[in-house]
Amino acid sequence: MSEGKFEESVISVEGLYKKYGQFIAVNKINFEVKQGEVFGLLGPNGAGKTTTMEMIEGLRKPDGGKALVAGFDTQKQLNKVKEVIGVQLQSTSLFDLLKVKEIAQMYASFYPNPLAIEPLLESVNLQEKMNDRVKNLSGGQKQRLAIALALVNDPKVIFLDEPTTGLDPQARRTLWDIILRLKQQGKTIILSTHYMDEAHILCDRICLVDQGNIIALNSPQELIKSLDSESAIEFNLSNTDVLKENDRKALIQEFKMMNAVKQVDVHNDTYILYTNQLQHTLTDLIQQADEKKINLADLQTRTATLEDVFIHMTGRSLREE
Amino acid sequence: MKGYGQLTIAQLRIFGRNRQVLFWTLFFPIFLMIMIGSFIGGGNNVSLQGVIIDMDQSNESQIFVDGLISNQTSMDAPVSVQFELIEDEVKAKELLKQGDIQLIAIVPEGYSEEVNAEGGASNIILYYDETDQLRSTIGIGLVEGVVDNISKEMAGYKPIITVQQEGLQSINLTYIDFLVPGIVAMMIMSNNLNGVAGQISSWRERGVLRRMQSTTLKASTFIAAQITARLLLNGLQALIVLLVGSLVFGTQVNGSWFLLILFVILGTLTFMSIGFIIASIAKTPESAGPIAGFISFPLLFLGGVFFPIDDMPSYLQPIVNSLPIAHLSTAFRQIMNVGADLTTLWSEALLLSGWMIVAFVIASFTFKWD
Repeated sequence: MSEGKFEESVISVEGLYKKYGQFIAVNKINFEVKQGEVFGLLGPNGAGKTTTMEMIEGLRKPDGGKALVAGFDTQKQLNKVKEVIGVQLQSTSLFDLLKVKEIAQMYASFYPNPLAIEPLLESVNLQEKMNDRVKNLSGGQKQRLAIALALVNDPKVIFLDEPTTGLDPQARRTLWDIILRLKQQGKTIILSTHYMDEAHILCDRICLVDQGNIIALNSPQELIKSLDSESAIEFNLSNTDVLKENDRKALIQEFKMMNAVKQVDVHNDTYILYTNQLQHTLTDLIQQADEKKINLADLQTRTATLEDVFIHMTGRSLREE
Repeated sequence: MKGYGQLTIAQLRIFGRNRQVLFWTLFFPIFLMIMIGSFIGGGNNVSLQGVIIDMDQSNESQIFVDGLISNQTSMDAPVSVQFELIEDEVKAKELLKQGDIQLIAIVPEGYSEEVNAEGGASNIILYYDETDQLRSTIGIGLVEGVVDNISKEMAGYKPIITVQQEGLQSINLTYIDFLVPGIVAMMIMSNNLNGVAGQISSWRERGVLRRMQSTTLKASTFIAAQITARLLLNGLQALIVLLVGSLVFGTQVNGSWFLLILFVILGTLTFMSIGFIIASIAKTPESAGPIAGFISFPLLFLGGVFFPIDDMPSYLQPIVNSLPIAHLSTAFRQIMNVGADLTTLWSEALLLSGWMIVAFVIASFTFKWD
């Protein structure tokens, strides 16, 4: 993605801050979203993604800082903001007893210049479900309806809060296609997710968030590049039960000394070696393991992902076990 | 404006498609009316059954028997009386003990000779069921009346003073006439109080309201649509209950239907506003039910729905008299039973309006989308 493709900034967040009692949900964050980009908020559950989005949407009052959408302050000119945004909430619940078409008509009636209903529902592949009650839709269909409702006022900015959580792989792909189509139409999309593959495929830029703080913000490619390693080697040690803390530290130190190893992370007893020269590192590892009587188990290699970026920066996984 | 119309239609569709709610909210008041109505009886009718045993078999005894059988109603109470002539005294006593009859009148042997003798006197023997006070008293009075008439005739007695009876209360009211307006008031209260509180708090918890909050829809438009839809539904339900009351039990509507509908609207608005307040107080839909119950249940008993307010202890009267439900049921009763118009009902209308305005103001200040 070349820099400078997205010029105009549509959203600017300045020192946004929110706390619930003693718990700081969002800690004075700053970022800008450019016109036409898909901006991802990636982080584990409870990282503050939803709170951040809802403060920008004007649904929650920040305890500090401000957010501008299309130049309008979300606290002072909320109605102007609402006219240019479309929102899909994390737990979208709609009137079960209404038909798909009826509920779309109802939401359309809230805006002065809504889109035509039938083409809109067709664009999210719901043309055949138009006369079905919401109650009878599948999870994926409900989520697509929620997106259609977010589009009914032809918004400039679309907020999608974990749109694929809880969906089966097939339904997720269908939803991805819809989001990519919206991107082609030039819509600005803010998307929150805890799936790194989803963020990688859909987003132009990703904001990694953890415990209310932004820990990195860049394109997926640049984020992975920041690891300075193309590949990862993962393995467990089958004789670690007897390993003392000191021995363990010594062992990590030894791994770090191996050929071409950039970093070593330990996560839930799994050791991850990052390297740019997979073959050299791997040969060295196996050789030394033989000499030092280390039993390697579940050995595998793969390319580095956003998950690795997150683990490297926080020491924790995106999905909590 | 478009949003208002669409929301109203949507709410009516939800009402229409939620058959179960529709059925039970309508069925309950009608069921209550039919149950209580048939229990108490349309006109407090008591039936009295008795037997006569004529052991004398003379002309004189026949006069008594005819007198009793022909006297099918009592002056004192609305009782339907039925006397039968039988012969077996043992069997008659058995029937009395079983409760099949309530009275046995026996004309003893030698009755004719005794009454015809110079300065003679005789007795009619009466058995009655002591456990059934009401009907025994009525029955004894009835027999005494017949005996008294025969005695006077035989003695050639002419009364100098008689009592001329004329009813002054021209409207003949029964309990069902009291009950139906109360039930309509109760229905309006419970449907709105529980309905609004339950639905709004559940929509809030499920995030339905939150989603609407993120559009340009105004809270006032949303509330106005809710009110409109519920007014239509409640008006219809009240009308159905009134029609059932009038067709099945013959309840009267002596006053104007227009005024009746006006009070239906006033009552709906008042209790809907209170419902919105409860929805704001309740943190979860689970707590909305008990809170609504806490308010509606005492109102049901203190508000003159089932018992007249005059029957309540005097220290409760000031409280009871300021409750909105009391004024709603009183207004319904005045319009339906007496045919009152606004010149007599202005205080009820004023107090209800006061409740409505205060509740509405509080409701609109406390309304929360989430």
